Amino acid sequence: MVATAVELASLEKTLGLSGVGGVPELQTNNGPGLEGLTTIASHLVKVAKKEELLGTTPEKSALVQQWLEYRVTQIDKCTTQDDKRMILKELNCYLEDKVYLAGNSFTLADIMLYNGLHPIVAALTHEDRERYVNVSRWFNHIQHYPGVRQHFAAIVFVRNRLYPTVH
Amino acid sequence: MTKGEAVGVPEDQAQSKKAAKKLQKEAEKAAKKAEKQAKLAAENQADEEDFAKDKYGILPMIQSQEKLDRVLVHVKNLTEDKADQMVWLRARVHTSRAKGKQCFLVLRQQQFNIQGLVAVGDHVSKQMVKFAANISKESIVDVEGYVRKVEQKVESCSQCDVELHIVKLFVVSAAEPRLPLQLDDAIRPETGDEEGRATVNQDTRLDNRIIDLRTMTSQSIFRLQSGVCQLFRETLIKKEFVEVQTPKIISAASEGGANVFTVSYFKTSAYLAQSPQLYKQMCICADFDKVFCIGPVFRAEDSNTHRHLTEFVGLDIEMAFNYHYHEVVTEIADTLVQIFKGLRDRFQTEIQTVGKQYPCEPFKFLEPTLRLEYLEAVAMLREAGVEMGDEEDLSTPNEKLLGRLVKEKYDTDFYILDKYPLAVRPFYTMPDPHDPKYSNSYDMFMRGEEILSGAQRIHDPQVLTDRALQLGIDIEKIKSYIDSFRFGAPPHAGGGIGLERVTMLYLGLHNVRQTSMFPRDPKRLTP
Repeated sequence: MVATAVELASLEKTLGLSGVGGVPELQTNNGPGLEGLTTIASHLVKVAKKEELLGTTPEKSALVQQWLEYRVTQIDKCTTQDDKRMILKELNCYLEDKVYLAGNSFTLADIMLYNGLHPIVAALTHEDRERYVNVSRWFNHIQHYPGVRQHFAAIVFVRNRLYPTVH
Repeated sequence: MTKGEAVGVPEDQAQSKKAAKKLQKEAEKAAKKAEKQAKLAAENQADEEDFAKDKYGILPMIQSQEKLDRVLVHVKNLTEDKADQMVWLRARVHTSRAKGKQCFLVLRQQQFNIQGLVAVGDHVSKQMVKFAANISKESIVDVEGYVRKVEQKVESCSQCDVELHIVKLFVVSAAEPRLPLQLDDAIRPETGDEEGRATVNQDTRLDNRIIDLRTMTSQSIFRLQSGVCQLFRETLIKKEFVEVQTPKIISAASEGGANVFTVSYFKTSAYLAQSPQLYKQMCICADFDKVFCIGPVFRAEDSNTHRHLTEFVGLDIEMAFNYHYHEVVTEIADTLVQIFKGLRDRFQTEIQTVGKQYPCEPFKFLEPTLRLEYLEAVAMLREAGVEMGDEEDLSTPNEKLLGRLVKEKYDTDFYILDKYPLAVRPFYTMPDPHDPKYSNSYDMFMRGEEILSGAQRIHDPQVLTDRALQLGIDIEKIKSYIDSFRFGAPPHAGGGIGLERVTMLYLGLHNVRQTSMFPRDPKRLTP
């Protein structure tokens, strides 16, 4: 819960909101309280008047929702090395022909997956970062996206291939 | 009692019925047996009629009864230009496969093999083909036959342009029919598992080392290893070095006491040498100027890794220099480069044979050898996100990462890392004149793993004593060593290489046990 609170506080900064406080259960000014990481995150995006981060077309919105769900159901639930490897492999395939998770524009999905993957990617060796080269490219891009990184440590990616035998 | 008897009667009857049946069955069996024997006898009779019976069989044990003038040709020399000649050869039966009136044998001699054919005809009888098919794998045979060109290349053999039409076949030494491991399984590349076929694991290989050593891969590895030693000697002798032999039973540990084997030595104890360090330095003080030695080195480290052995072969160099220890660094690096070049030029077949089972990129090096300073390396690692102190020793993962970074930047698998922090080196290492935190010491790396560790040594007895005391070493125990520098000692430097590691890393193998013929580690003392 503490980690979630920290993450939402960091998201507020990313979105340029002054601290609302009291997360992850959010008491909104008009209506009932909100619960859950992605629900609150989506709400904050709207409060910040950055709705484009939730997808500009119905297809994109659906994609963003899909990845937000992936974040809380898959990434946050994986504990073993095998789970992590599975996720990285899957994402690596998916990102092969994409700059952002929902195609060609930056969305909330990128921010939330960056946050969720940070500890996993930080623990990878250079060899593995190269093995999941598309994940690394995307991750490196997102961590340099203005305002996203916040309290997270920057992760170093070597630009050139070091391990020709990995592929 | 009576009751028992009363019951017993019908039982007896029942039993006799059973017995009768049994008898009948046995009679049937006997009849069958007799029939079989008759058949066998008939066959034996046929054997007697065997017109080729002098042309095959099991030779009596060779006890040096006679000196034959027979010339045994080596399998590797059987090529197209020997076509239609009659030759004798001695080889192992690698595989045999009978098919009707023919039997195909693969005859192997070291890393070479040829297809042999025993086919019923003018010289060969049916019985001889049968005999050939029944020879157990790995038996040693003497064979006479005609070398014949083949229309289609025999892809599975090293001598693919010819085959041998066998006319005589004698078993010199029969192998037991069951082998602890199959040679074909032992040379299968580990990555080729799509077919789901068996491979042999390391322990099984090592437990049955003499059979594993017969594989083409092992044959090539150890031929190449012999080449490393030969090239090392050749190069250094050309550079006017003297080969010396040093004792392996010593009175004091040379590099710290922890990882040393203690042996009982009459009423006291002694140690097994961790390196010929002290003795090659004494040779320098005795005016031998440039010395090298090849011999066993012992390390009592309880580390079960892919690159540690408790006994290995050390190739050690020590050399007096004029003004700067880089004179020595250059000589050592050049020696290694000469070895790499020699291997590349003279052992291409061996390299390729090993590459078939363990694929790897060819070994790359620069001339002159790349020399990096320790701080440069630390900077490169930090740039790649590694957090480490200026005077911290390189951990194994960092060592490997640095190797990759260097390979990427300079395209070399071989480089020198100079100016190590003094704190991580032994007491006899000369401090750096400009910064006492560093030292005139260096490591050399192949494919990101250390193969040589060396330094300029302290040749001044006073400085040496001071350093030993600083590190808490008992001066009494190394008195004879320090004393050898009292009567005029030239400045000198040197280094020691592990033969097994050089072979392993040159071929890009993954375990040092593959390049040690009979490896010794904390868990293995046999074979």
